[in-house]
Amino acid sequence: MTITVALVGNGGIGTQDHQSSMYGPAFERHPLFSLVDDPAAAQVLSIAVPLAERGAAIADAVRAGKHVLADKPLAATLAEAVEIERLAAEHGVVVVPAHHQRFNAALRSATAAVRAGRVGLPWNVQCDFVVAGGDPAPTGELVNFGLYPVDVVRALLGLEVRRVHATGSPDLVTLLLDHDHGVTSTIVCGRVPALRDLPPGGLAVHRYRISGSHGVLAVDARKPALQVRTTESNGLVWTGPGTVDALLDVLAAGIASGAGRAAIGPHDAVRAQRVIEAAQRSMETGQPVETGE
Amino acid sequence: MDRIGIVLVGAGFIADAHSGAIDADPRAELIGIVDAAPGRAAAFARKQGGIRHALDLDTALSWPGVDAVILCTPNDTHAPIGLAVAAAGKHLLVEKPLATTVADAQRLARAFEAAGTVLVAAHTHRFYDYGVAVKQTIDSGAIGRPKLVRLAILGGWIWPDWSAWVGDPDRSGGHALHNGVHLLDLATWWLGQEPTAIYARGRKQTAAELRIYDYLEMVVTYADGATAVCEMSRAHRPGSLAQRELLVAGTEGIVEQGWDGESSLVFGEAGTATLPAAGGNGFAKQLGAWLDAIGGAPPQMPVADAVRAVVLGVAVEESIATGRPVAVTA
Ligand SMILES: NC(=O)c1ccc[n+]([C@@H]2O[C@H](COP(=O)([O-])OP(=O)(O)OC[C@H]3O[C@@H](n4cnc5c(N)ncnc54)[C@H](O)[C@@H]3O)[C@@H](O)[C@H]2O)c1
Repeated sequence: MTITVALVGNGGIGTQDHQSSMYGPAFERHPLFSLVDDPAAAQVLSIAVPLAERGAAIADAVRAGKHVLADKPLAATLAEAVEIERLAAEHGVVVVPAHHQRFNAALRSATAAVRAGRVGLPWNVQCDFVVAGGDPAPTGELVNFGLYPVDVVRALLGLEVRRVHATGSPDLVTLLLDHDHGVTSTIVCGRVPALRDLPPGGLAVHRYRISGSHGVLAVDARKPALQVRTTESNGLVWTGPGTVDALLDVLAAGIASGAGRAAIGPHDAVRAQRVIEAAQRSMETGQPVETGE
Repeated sequence: MDRIGIVLVGAGFIADAHSGAIDADPRAELIGIVDAAPGRAAAFARKQGGIRHALDLDTALSWPGVDAVILCTPNDTHAPIGLAVAAAGKHLLVEKPLATTVADAQRLARAFEAAGTVLVAAHTHRFYDYGVAVKQTIDSGAIGRPKLVRLAILGGWIWPDWSAWVGDPDRSGGHALHNGVHLLDLATWWLGQEPTAIYARGRKQTAAELRIYDYLEMVVTYADGATAVCEMSRAHRPGSLAQRELLVAGTEGIVEQGWDGESSLVFGEAGTATLPAAGGNGFAKQLGAWLDAIGGAPPQMPVADAVRAVVLGVAVEESIATGRPVAVTA
């Protein structure tokens, strides 16, 4: 028995259509899901409506007892995200925000290695998440994809963010995060112009350095990949499953568990949104901002 | 033309790099060596084929043929010894930091200005191959206007024990002034912008009892909105694995050099280590630029930049102490 999915919406921030470019094809090729046309007949709704309408659309789906795969960010405001978290718990449905970068194969094994003490007690993470080309987000890239590296750092450390200082511009921002136990992390996140041999909107730099009391873990999250060079081009070719495929595995497992929860849920979106909003306040005031976590 | 006669002051760790540079430059001659610790100057002099040696600068300044001084003593001695060099009308190449306080840095700048002699601080990374190559790439316009610099110089603990002056903030000025200034100056030089604010975080990783931060993260904001994230570490494990990483993002492209960008890796029984490429001698180029400036050329490391590096280093320590960004004006 496969899980039925209906695709709802083809919008996002600016010109984005992640439904057609990412979620639709991933559901189509995933063995545990089958697409249906009628949302009313589907168990799962894949919701990618424009950001301004997204929170309400997801809340309606949850109230109707549907599981949800939600384009990122889950909602335009923290208040909406918190409400979705509450509703999902009340209705016992699985809501998976598309924070798919944490399911990158290299980052999954990195997270496991940190948890297993391979670098000792981690004390700092440095991350660069730099996209090249594609359409700039009218909201600024902090709102558009800042949550990806924030979510990855939370997953790597298993520690919430207490304080945020941000500098730069919304298109290329530096986030300085403080966690418990004196642990710090730094995220450079943004968009640079299109670069040769990179697909538009592709990641030019995506890396993490986790420093611990007993070692360092350096992760190039553009891999696992092959370096392919031809007379025409020079580029990396992914090996293994993509991050969205892995996200759908998590969604399927969450639904199958019957517990109304998956390995990632609305609380992760709430946590990320708190950091992004604190970063926005920090950019406005020039001062560090507490997240209230 | 007569060779420029140089006295080295401080026969410690870094002195050999300077004497090696002098040996390699036909325009310079090492006249003698000064060190306050009995025996050190004499031993250094013997190694150099029997040059003059002394326990104090005054004696050395009276030797015939002395035009200039290279100062490689602990950081807190740079100001008093440097002022004596200015008063004697000699040129000075002073190890970084120029001084451990902004007031002393400015005092030195004024003294050499008044004496009409050349003062240069040894921000050697400006003369390393990578430092030059990044600067040339940015200045060529290839990546447009630079908006972000990331520079990390990471290593393990290198200072011997609790007696090391580097671990004493009164003597070294703290790690931001001791090593942090290298990165603060380099990133600022690459960007060609004026810094406006610093936000820094520090950590005492090797031991809680340290009096300096062995890990520093120094984030500089510039007048045009650019950002530099500079990490200076003696806290990383394993201590055998020295790493340097850099990324510059501009409006038209990026420049990157990862930890494997210049070095080979040795996978040995004793652990894994990077093996830096041979390449140019930064100390020789630095000496050459100072000699050029003595000859009348514009300095490649202007005094104002050395003062600014001290301003930034002091701001780093203040930001760590307060947990807040610190406004800077050079
Ligand atoms: N440019 C670089 O890359 C670089 C690298 C290392 C050190 N340095 C700088 O070089 C300087 C020296 O560092 P080091 O590692 O060689 O130190 P060191 O401790 O190895 O040597 C310092 C020497 O100065 C002598 N000394 C101390 N006080 C003196 C005084 N008042 N008069 C005469 N001699 C005195 C000491 O006896 C010792 O021999 C410092 O300013 C340091 O910041 C620069």
